[in-house]
Amino acid sequence: MRSKIAALLAVCVGLGFALVSCGSDDGVDTKAAFVYVGPVGDAGWTWAHDQGRQYAEEETGVETAYVEAVPEGTADFANHVRDFIDQGFNVIIGTSFGYMDDMVALAEEYPDVVFEHVSGYLMNDTNFGNTFGRMYEPRYLSGMVAGSVTKTGLIGYVAAFPIPEVIRGINAFTLGVQATNPNAQVEVIWTSTWFDPAVEGDSAQAVLDKGADVIAMHQDSAAAGEKAEAAGARWVSYNSDMSAFAPNAFLTAPVWTWGPRYVAIIEAAQDGNYSPSSYWGSMADGIVDLAPIASDVDQSVVDMVMEAKAAIIAGDLHPFTGPLNDQDGNQVLGAGEVMDDGAMLGMMFFVEGVIGSTG
Amino acid sequence: MMRRPRLDLRDQPLAGGQPLAFGIGLAVALFVGTLLLLSAGHEPLKIYTRMFEASLGDPDAWAVTLNRAVPLGLAGLAVAVAGSMGLWNIGAEGQIMTGAIAASWVARIGGEWPGLILIIAMLIAALGGGGLLALGPAVAKAKLGVNEIITTLMLNEVAIRLAQWLIHGPWKDPDAYNFPLAPMLPEQAHLPTLFSRAHCGILIAAGVIVISSVAVKYTAWGYELRIAGSSEATARYSGISLPHKVLTVLVLSGGIAGLAGGVELTGTADRLTESLSNGFGFAGIIVAALALMRPSGVAVVAVLFGAVQIGGQSIQTLGVSSSVSTILQAFVLFGAIGAGVLSRYRILFEGDTHAVPEEVNK
Repeated sequence: MRSKIAALLAVCVGLGFALVSCGSDDGVDTKAAFVYVGPVGDAGWTWAHDQGRQYAEEETGVETAYVEAVPEGTADFANHVRDFIDQGFNVIIGTSFGYMDDMVALAEEYPDVVFEHVSGYLMNDTNFGNTFGRMYEPRYLSGMVAGSVTKTGLIGYVAAFPIPEVIRGINAFTLGVQATNPNAQVEVIWTSTWFDPAVEGDSAQAVLDKGADVIAMHQDSAAAGEKAEAAGARWVSYNSDMSAFAPNAFLTAPVWTWGPRYVAIIEAAQDGNYSPSSYWGSMADGIVDLAPIASDVDQSVVDMVMEAKAAIIAGDLHPFTGPLNDQDGNQVLGAGEVMDDGAMLGMMFFVEGVIGSTG
Repeated sequence: MMRRPRLDLRDQPLAGGQPLAFGIGLAVALFVGTLLLLSAGHEPLKIYTRMFEASLGDPDAWAVTLNRAVPLGLAGLAVAVAGSMGLWNIGAEGQIMTGAIAASWVARIGGEWPGLILIIAMLIAALGGGGLLALGPAVAKAKLGVNEIITTLMLNEVAIRLAQWLIHGPWKDPDAYNFPLAPMLPEQAHLPTLFSRAHCGILIAAGVIVISSVAVKYTAWGYELRIAGSSEATARYSGISLPHKVLTVLVLSGGIAGLAGGVELTGTADRLTESLSNGFGFAGIIVAALALMRPSGVAVVAVLFGAVQIGGQSIQTLGVSSSVSTILQAFVLFGAIGAGVLSRYRILFEGDTHAVPEEVNK
């Protein structure tokens, strides 16, 4: 009898342990940490990522956290990531290019943590991938809107750094401008900044003074828009719908929608089937989009832009389709040729119609 | 009539001295910080615990703090050495960059050299790179009396643009798909690890700080330096060549800041980046000021400053915004370290006289 009770107890205890260990098997909570290069209040790049984080937290129910204003190429990034991992975070998302080296090293050091790098190009086979978006698609559409409203035929483009991402945006924008206004030109002015409202505002003013009546941009501040507003010119913002900063100048904006992508990464990590990739999402995937177009733009222009948007999503229209010449008139693509991803990713030339140099 | 306050050096430090002042200052800072944290909706105790654990809680934390103290200490030393002579080197930020650039240049040509030789060559080049950027302001100050604050400050921008140009242009890594990245340093160019993640930079920094302290305090060279710093007329009268002194001290100061860049490059960064200087050069001014421009005080202040920065940054992972974290860092820094200053100085108002206690006869 006693041995039966003992056996029963043993079984119960065994079962109990089994249940407990079962629980802890899937019970490693997924927690996602984000490291941002700017302040979440920048209304631009970092703000858009933080919208994505909040969306992902709501959709997945996973705990998320972030640190902001973390400089690139310093020890700060790795310090923050180690802090997060100590606290049990097991998905790390870094949203600036300069974090790449650290993410490579940390991914090797912490094989059980998922690392996703936004805007880089390195990855590994197990726990480190990268994400970016084909921003050139909505850039092209925003160029169509800009081309349709310019009267002087000169559009200023306040650009960040001469790297392929920015150059690709300028070219796509210019091709969009030419789709609605074949004679318009786009003048590029480099700021060598990602977020410096004073410099970006001054640069916008410089092209406005040269006669530009539309300003486009590639930084994270709204300073260029405020100058356009004051000058009575128009403005294509970037990253997010920044209409609140310059309600009269604002035309539209190519914008980021990171949320669904973050949900996908976090859910994959949760299910234990994260597999790294070089994700370059398109407008069809929803990671990039065009913000609503200002209400005073002609309906015919809006219709044309929406038609082009539908064609891009359907795969019928590619902004970089030949015939395409570079700034000096050399042919880059023959008629009907479509540029491949490799050429777009390393793009270091301006298309015809851009004023300025890539160096 | 407003009476303007001024700081007056006490003849004797306050009873209890700097440790007591440090404690009181820290307590005041933590109290004000508590109000800040409560108003921002955080739990102060949890935050303070985290700050301490992340910066000084265990050997790993110490390693991170010491790695941060290295560039802060060297930059602080650079400013303090110039400050011993009454000169203001506001250009450490840029000198750190040119130091790192020079060290990267050596790494580019010495990719096949053995590690020890390569690292030493890189650090010597870093000294030269920093010194070179300070040479212009030094000559202008020594020969023409041009204010060194302005010239050193303006050259910061030049140095950072130079790094940008190199990274976006001639030094762009051909394997980086046109991304603006300098190539990785050769494997053997990394400073060896001392313990945990602390690299040997702390030994280099400590060595340089000791040598400089001794040089300023105990050598004839340092004596002349301090005389020139306290009174130009006295210096001239005793036959000290001021232009020569200005020149050597400013260039040396730039060299030390450049060394900070070299150590940061070989110790922390894998390659030259535009943000390598990370504000260390400007923080160095605060370090030096809090160390009362004494090279010997720089080490302690730099470690404390490093701990505050590391601890302060770490609380961001608890949901504290970067601005609240920065404000809190400032409170602790000025509360704790600033109190040390007040223990040696007192505030006098215009019209007060410097009363010398009778028993002190200097």
